Amino acid sequence: MLLLTCPNCGDRNVSEFHFGGELSSRPKDPSALSDAEWANYLYMHNNVMDAQTEWWHHNAGCGLWFLADRHTQTNEVIKTYPYTKRDA
Amino acid sequence: MRTEQDTLTIMPNRLQAKQGEVIDRSTTIRFTFDGREYSAHPGDTVASALTAAGVKVLSRSFKYHRPRGLLCCAGHCPNCLVQIGDEPNVRACTRPVEAGMEVQAQNVWPSLKRDLLSLTELGSRFMPVGFYYKTFIRPQKLWPLYEHTLRHAAGLGEAHIDTPPGEFDKQYLHTDVVVAGGGPAGISAALTAAEAGAQVLLFDENPTLGGHLRFTIPLESPSSTEVSKDSPELLEAVNQQPNITVFTDTSVLGWYQDNWLCAVKGTRLLKIRTKSMVVATGAYEMPLIFDNNDLPGVMLGGAVQRLVHLFGVLPGKQVVIVTANEDGWDLAADLHSLGVNVAAIVDEREPNACASPYRDGLVNAGVPVFYRHIILEAIGSSAVRGVMIARLDEHSKISRVTTQSLQCDLIVTSIGWTPATELAYMAGGKSEYNSDRAEILPVSTPPGIYVVGRAAGIHVVDSQITEAQQAGSNAAAFAGFGEFDEAAAQSPGVIEPRRTSDRVCVPGNKKRFVCYCEDVTDQDVETAIAEGYDSIELLKRYSTISMGPCQGAMCSMNTIHLCARANGSTVQETGTTTARPPITPVTLGALAGQNMEPVQITPIHQWHLDHSADMMVAGLWLRPNHYGNPVAEALCVRNRVGLIDVSPLGKLQLTGPGVPELLERIYINQWRNLRAGRVRYGVMCNDEGVVLNDGVCAHLRDDTWYMTTTSTGATTVFEWLQWWLQSGWGEGVHLTDLTDNYSAFNVAGPQSRAVLEKLTDRNLANKAFPYMRIRSARIAGVLCRLLRIGFTGELSYEVHCPSGYAVHVWEALMDAGREFGIAPFGVEAQRILRLEKGHIIVGQDTDAMSDPLSANMAWAVKLDKPDFLGKPSLMRIFAEGPKQLLVGFKMVEPDVVPAEGLQIVVPEMDGQLEIIGWVTSSRFSPTLEEVIGLCWLPTEIASQNGTSFSIRMDGHIAEARVHHGAFYDPDGERLRM
Repeated sequence: MLLLTCPNCGDRNVSEFHFGGELSSRPKDPSALSDAEWANYLYMHNNVMDAQTEWWHHNAGCGLWFLADRHTQTNEVIKTYPYTKRDA
Repeated sequence: MRTEQDTLTIMPNRLQAKQGEVIDRSTTIRFTFDGREYSAHPGDTVASALTAAGVKVLSRSFKYHRPRGLLCCAGHCPNCLVQIGDEPNVRACTRPVEAGMEVQAQNVWPSLKRDLLSLTELGSRFMPVGFYYKTFIRPQKLWPLYEHTLRHAAGLGEAHIDTPPGEFDKQYLHTDVVVAGGGPAGISAALTAAEAGAQVLLFDENPTLGGHLRFTIPLESPSSTEVSKDSPELLEAVNQQPNITVFTDTSVLGWYQDNWLCAVKGTRLLKIRTKSMVVATGAYEMPLIFDNNDLPGVMLGGAVQRLVHLFGVLPGKQVVIVTANEDGWDLAADLHSLGVNVAAIVDEREPNACASPYRDGLVNAGVPVFYRHIILEAIGSSAVRGVMIARLDEHSKISRVTTQSLQCDLIVTSIGWTPATELAYMAGGKSEYNSDRAEILPVSTPPGIYVVGRAAGIHVVDSQITEAQQAGSNAAAFAGFGEFDEAAAQSPGVIEPRRTSDRVCVPGNKKRFVCYCEDVTDQDVETAIAEGYDSIELLKRYSTISMGPCQGAMCSMNTIHLCARANGSTVQETGTTTARPPITPVTLGALAGQNMEPVQITPIHQWHLDHSADMMVAGLWLRPNHYGNPVAEALCVRNRVGLIDVSPLGKLQLTGPGVPELLERIYINQWRNLRAGRVRYGVMCNDEGVVLNDGVCAHLRDDTWYMTTTSTGATTVFEWLQWWLQSGWGEGVHLTDLTDNYSAFNVAGPQSRAVLEKLTDRNLANKAFPYMRIRSARIAGVLCRLLRIGFTGELSYEVHCPSGYAVHVWEALMDAGREFGIAPFGVEAQRILRLEKGHIIVGQDTDAMSDPLSANMAWAVKLDKPDFLGKPSLMRIFAEGPKQLLVGFKMVEPDVVPAEGLQIVVPEMDGQLEIIGWVTSSRFSPTLEEVIGLCWLPTEIASQNGTSFSIRMDGHIAEARVHHGAFYDPDGERLRM
């Protein structure tokens, strides 16, 4: 079972976490978006076979939503870190 | 008293007692095999006891029902699988015998001795490899008959449905270093790692540690070392080492990501997280493929050594040893020293290739040796009576004219080893074929994974110990204890003599088995390859080789050789099949463990049980479905007063100046204008405009808000809110989950005010505490939050009290309500009541496609608000209009209740039915005495009140009519009384 490092709690089994998808941000002014742009935000994910930044939630622990850089092919977790506005 | 002579009559193959054996000769116990009684000593396995009694045939083979006897005696092959009582597929060679044990042969009909299904072999040319993919297919309707017959003819033990469930459990372990395998290498690695300070778990599948030292003469080593290679001394050192925890009788089943291991010890599954791992799992002895190589009495060298040294049992009187290495000579010397008649040593090598220190001694003692000879055939029908051998010519071809037969009752093959590297492979280790050694040996492993001992191709005990000590030291260093041993990395490796023959298969004219589990012969392999299944992975799947109980331990290396030869390629090019867990068979019971499905219970749980509640699982919670009569419970709420435990409701407290802004963004409704003391029904959508959850949210006072969610959606909503708070919308908001801190009860019915008034000083009059308001009040002395809301459609109060006082408040409500005829009601009554009001349940009446416009909640959507979750999608949905609507219906016939999920259909021109909608909720309404429900329908049908439509029932069509508005009290007067 994959180990994931919660920035608050340390190494925990991945079963303590919920996956939250790849990092994406809600558009600042959705009303200004075209149908295509809004659909792009809702449905079009990068789905890379590479390292990607993604959301994880420590739902069986401290409740923190944090970011993990994980390689989607090897499952290698390169690092985990708390979200800051810079990551948006 | 039993005499030595008696013992010999009942156990004729028992040797004289000697050091190292694990049996207790002072006691004799009895057990039965196929109905006949046998004797054994405590410490015997089922197989050793049967062998001592002279039993040679233990099972019948999978496909041809050929007699099979002991082959590996190490728990790796399928030949000794038996049924013990209710337990199928037990390996007789590893299961300790117990007094009174009832052992049955498997896959036999009518009996082990006379198995009529062995006649299938006569028809074997009609059952080529993969025959089940080609035959028994047509006509299709006969398949049930085919299947029944095939199930009877093939397969293993019987699983009885009435077998009582066993006791299984799981254990979770955390450690620094895991050592898999407790032979000399594993023990040495464990000792070194433990001395460095690491916590070590040492696993071995045998009852005692020691590995092959328990039953082999240690090989003479050219160099002497200070380390003892004496098994008892190693064991004592392990006992003295507090950092080592030993698990015997434990098989490591697999490696998973981040060094998460799974092992099984009897009925207990172990899940282990380790920092590093030493693989010391030894090697499998390779069988040789020749005519009748599956005849009982053909055994592997290690099997004979185990029987002789652990159990004092000799499986034959006249032994022919077929070998290509020094291990065979060791065995010959071993047996000869015990006075056994070694009838011949058949060595495929030149005389000068043999470097055995025992050679001269054996030759001088008159043991016949046949150099450059190989075995052609085992002679006999149900047991070995002799052997055919022949000379190899200068091109290593068989010279058939030199064929001769020898008499014997035991053929021992000792022709090489397959390192057991499954764990290293799973962990990402790489192996390569070493053609000098004719073995696939590990060449690299990921950091923190080490392979030692025979698994690494090292057989000389001194070398095993030295290399394992380095690995143990590095495994500890990897876990943070001590320094890495740089010397290990620079070590040139051990120069080992070749021990494995690559001859693999001796052609002939009888059956030669590659795979004992599935009865696959070398010719089957050739046929499969000729049919195009020429890659090793395809060959495996098509022929089922290596997919049986042995999981490739006996057959996989031989198959790779055969595949390479048939393709004209090399072993390295052919590659190996993927090793996957479980490495050894495991019972489903051990995998399942105890039934530990976690459920949440409310503080009132015991009261519910004491009042004959029928409990149901609702999400994570156990809730009363009803207390005997849900219809009466519903009517009691309508006419008098009822009490329901709604503690599973999600309860979230939000505080801070930013809460109104957050609510505006989270809900589709308006919140800024909600004054303190008021409650509003709210709906949450995601950005796709799909309804996520609903519930009421109260403005308690100033900056404090109290939100409730559906019971099943509580954790989802909490997680959802945490996400938005932590990713940018959290300014000025503090969120607390009070779901468990507060219990909640709904007092519902026209008399609910009267009941509550007895328990509080708070003015509950309609004017002072109107509908959709929240008040703090002491109820029976406990400070509670009262929400006047009405899911049931009656005057009702939701009482939220601290969970520590929940039982007190609940009982006080029941006591106060007695004079008004109060009764508890469960989920079922609540479902009837809410349906009569047309209230939806998110997740039951809505799904992942339901937007609030089509779910009849358009009134809640405030599109004139600034941006909120779902708004851009809802703008577009509102512009397009709904394609379908969630709408109420009444059945035309009063007594037909359509099941939830049934389809709503219209007949098409061709007589087929087109599905246009489906029923989401339906109940008989005791208040209306009609069948009512909710369903999804196309907008044009749903928007016309009274339109009739058809529901496809089981075998017929039932008519229903669209019903707009609530079925009961459509104007909501009763809520506001």
